[in-house]
Amino acid sequence: MSQYRKGLWRSALAAAAVAGFVTSAAAQMELKIMAPAAPGGGWDQTARSMQQALTQSGIAKSAQVTNVPGAGGSIGIAQLVNNSKGDGNQLMVMGYVMVGALLTNKSPITLEQTTPIARLTTEYEAIVVPANSPIKNAKELAEAIKADPAKVTWAGGSAGGVDHIAAALFAKAAGADPTKINYIPFSGGGEALAAILGGKVTAGISGYGEFESQVKAGKLRLIGLTSATKTPNVDVPSIKEQGVDLEIANWRAVVAPPGISADQKKALTDAMDKLAQSKEWQEILKTKGWENAYVSGDAFAKILAEEQARTKDVLTAVGLVKS
Amino acid sequence: MTPSPQRRVDVAGLVIALLLLVLAGVVWWDMTKLQILSPYDLGPKVMPIVVSGCLTLLAIGNGIGAFRGDLPARDSLDWKPIVLILGGLACLIALIAFGGGFMIGTALLFAATSTAFGRRAFVTDFIIGAVIAVFVYVLFAKLLTLSLPAGPLERLF
Amino acid sequence: MEAFTSLASGLAVAIQPMNMLFALIGVLLGTAVGVLPGIGPALTVALLLPITFKLDPAGSIIMFAGIYYGGMYGGSTTAILINTPGESASMATALEGNLMAKSGRGGPALATSAIGSFVAGTIATLGLTLLSPYLVDIAVSFGPEDYFALMVVAFVTVSATFGDSPVRGLTSLFIGLTLGLVGIDILSGQSRLSFGIPELYDNIEVTTLAVGLFAVGEALYVASRRHVHEEKLEAVRGSLWMTKDDWKRSWKPWLRGTAFGFPIGALPAGGAEIPTFLSYSTEKRLTKHPEEFGRGAIEGVAGPEAANNAAAAGTLVPLLTLGLPTSATAAMLLAGFQQYGLNPGPLLFAERPDLVWGLIASLFIANGMLLVLNLPLVGLWVRLLAIPQPWLYAGILVFATMGTIAANPSPVELVMLGVFGVLGFLMRRFDFPIAPVVVGLILGPIAESQLRRALSISLGDPMVLLQSPISATLLVIALFALVAPFVLKGMGRFKAVED
Repeated sequence: MSQYRKGLWRSALAAAAVAGFVTSAAAQMELKIMAPAAPGGGWDQTARSMQQALTQSGIAKSAQVTNVPGAGGSIGIAQLVNNSKGDGNQLMVMGYVMVGALLTNKSPITLEQTTPIARLTTEYEAIVVPANSPIKNAKELAEAIKADPAKVTWAGGSAGGVDHIAAALFAKAAGADPTKINYIPFSGGGEALAAILGGKVTAGISGYGEFESQVKAGKLRLIGLTSATKTPNVDVPSIKEQGVDLEIANWRAVVAPPGISADQKKALTDAMDKLAQSKEWQEILKTKGWENAYVSGDAFAKILAEEQARTKDVLTAVGLVKS
Repeated sequence: MTPSPQRRVDVAGLVIALLLLVLAGVVWWDMTKLQILSPYDLGPKVMPIVVSGCLTLLAIGNGIGAFRGDLPARDSLDWKPIVLILGGLACLIALIAFGGGFMIGTALLFAATSTAFGRRAFVTDFIIGAVIAVFVYVLFAKLLTLSLPAGPLERLF
Repeated sequence: MEAFTSLASGLAVAIQPMNMLFALIGVLLGTAVGVLPGIGPALTVALLLPITFKLDPAGSIIMFAGIYYGGMYGGSTTAILINTPGESASMATALEGNLMAKSGRGGPALATSAIGSFVAGTIATLGLTLLSPYLVDIAVSFGPEDYFALMVVAFVTVSATFGDSPVRGLTSLFIGLTLGLVGIDILSGQSRLSFGIPELYDNIEVTTLAVGLFAVGEALYVASRRHVHEEKLEAVRGSLWMTKDDWKRSWKPWLRGTAFGFPIGALPAGGAEIPTFLSYSTEKRLTKHPEEFGRGAIEGVAGPEAANNAAAAGTLVPLLTLGLPTSATAAMLLAGFQQYGLNPGPLLFAERPDLVWGLIASLFIANGMLLVLNLPLVGLWVRLLAIPQPWLYAGILVFATMGTIAANPSPVELVMLGVFGVLGFLMRRFDFPIAPVVVGLILGPIAESQLRRALSISLGDPMVLLQSPISATLLVIALFALVAPFVLKGMGRFKAVED
């Protein structure tokens, strides 16, 4: 009963928003942001930063963060789809990692069931080698992997995650068999980094942030980032510019539950548009070192669909997903 | 080292041995569904095979022990308090699963446990449990912004 | 000597009144959350990050240091008093500590834990100050094969927790190893023993298992026997404070625990659990009072507690020198640094010495503050045991469940807690030792994944285990630890014959 009344109240709000009271109605928004992960991780930090920026800038009246950890987000998305259907105030933070996790976990819930709202940030993957490695650039790494993929050992994050996918794509672009890569997953960022610093593996792959201070200190050599073109914060051309056709980014985005009305979707998208432009959010991006990658609406939905198709291909190729 | 006069077969010991054997079987069955994906990795199957094999051996070891009857002596068992405590826990789980929040469930668990330990003041203990729950809720949900499972009561705060 | 002048300037930062206040808030908050199983320092720091955003970097990092050490104090206090380890590294403390508390020696147990933590924390922080640059090179050169060898050493010493029957001890260990299989296999990404339940994909939480087996299992067991065996708890029997004999029996375990904890904690995949077990096993082997182990031996509290705290300081070695977050808490501290645009790593010591030394100095201060705050409270804590038994156990169960849902608000997690409680009850009833289950859950997955990593890197050549000098040395130690008891026994017999 109260649910029904709440629903009415919400549609009234949405109607008001359409009628032109956009700012006042939006200021009433009481958002709930779910981080489908335990406190502390990337998704949780994104959710809590959004909360901070949304409330400080007055875009939303309040923003409550909840954590639903487990199985790479599979539990969180199931809760969003099953329990929050039609709730126009609910958002869930997600990212590229979830695309792969849902596939490998054989999750019955898929991203198609959610309502894509906007992509917020992105982080490019970086490939590094120990400072004393004979490999100097992406070309040489590609040649080594083409000659014998077994001899090139990669250290990175969990199997089927973005690091693994990027390593497989690199091998493919180098003309080697991606199923033959010797990829060794480590549990935490620190452990993989230690293995690379100790020269236990040929190369390491992870988000650039994990390696940045080591690269600056000269303990690791940066082979390149997986961006399309050289990014201003590094001295090395992108891997693609070095002639190995690899482009991948670990982005973070927000989606809404299924079954929300077009007006509700617009209200949420407007709020995110304003968030992206707010100086509070810009400030957070700067201190956290997150790269702005704001895309909303249909453009984001298109990106999401493309990423899903490509990820499925790669994961099928390495055997983690059966076609 | 005097052999006990009545070396009877211990039925509970045999059940334990059987359960271990079943566990070994489940681990083995689960292992058969795994695939070896990387050509360089030892594969996810080795550890389950080792565990399953050792569990089988231990099942035999426990079985022999049960036949020789050398399990330690046990006191008689009072089931009532166990049912009470697990019942309280089950109520808490159900309340959280169906959106009843954790305060009522916690109070119930507190009262059920203290009843299991022989107190006869369910209502008083229920209130004590509720006070603890409110205190913890305020500490964690408000001070640390941690999301605890909320029901109608929690929303009042 | 340069280190000392830097440390002095760090102390100057840390003892500013405002920063002392932050340290005090930190240790109080840390102790409060450390008491709840499942909620540890990492989670607390994670939740506080957005709030401390507005503080100045020095203040908030000093507060985090307080939370870090405070959490460990809270965790071991509950382990000793109510057999509910607040974190997995307090498990070894609970083994003897709770037995001491039940026989009225909770006061000395808490005291040796507090003083041992202080001693270990201080020595380890000194080690952090002086040895970091050297230790870190060794830490980084530790490869998967070396970790595997370290796990072999740990497995060999586990038998110290077995009790009388090797069959029952091994059964417990293998139940733990089976539980360790549950979840997604990190190396292949496939789920094992999860039966399609997504909540099981993330492996079984060590604290859920430990709290289920220890706290819930114990409550069920005591309740089921009330009609035949009334448990009588005495809060204090004998001295509340440590006697001269307690001191004599504690100081060596403190030092040995520190010697295990600090270097292993400094390893990127070392952790705090393994040194606590190693310390427990060592003390059990070296003690002059073997008959007291299993009934509450003070060495079994002093050693693991020291190891736990020393490991925590050890974790900061790779964090501060390399920017390697090797534990959940270290990862949160890293996030705390990054919030202020600071990247811990090789350059941090050079770029922001004030902060690094401020942090190290505040570790000293947090440590001292905890000792001063906690020792007078020992008497009060021990009185907790004087609470009427129904309320005491009801309170234990409420704490156990609440800690579990606060960390992971899912009914499935609570069901697991209940199942482990029943398992703990049955194991007590049929006299199976409890600790090896938790040991198996912790060690099994590490040993498996490190061996598989080592073999992947060597393309399947097992000789890699002997080619690495570290690994070869550790394997020899393991072999020695395995054979030595038999040899010693044989020699004893030989001697007896000679006489």
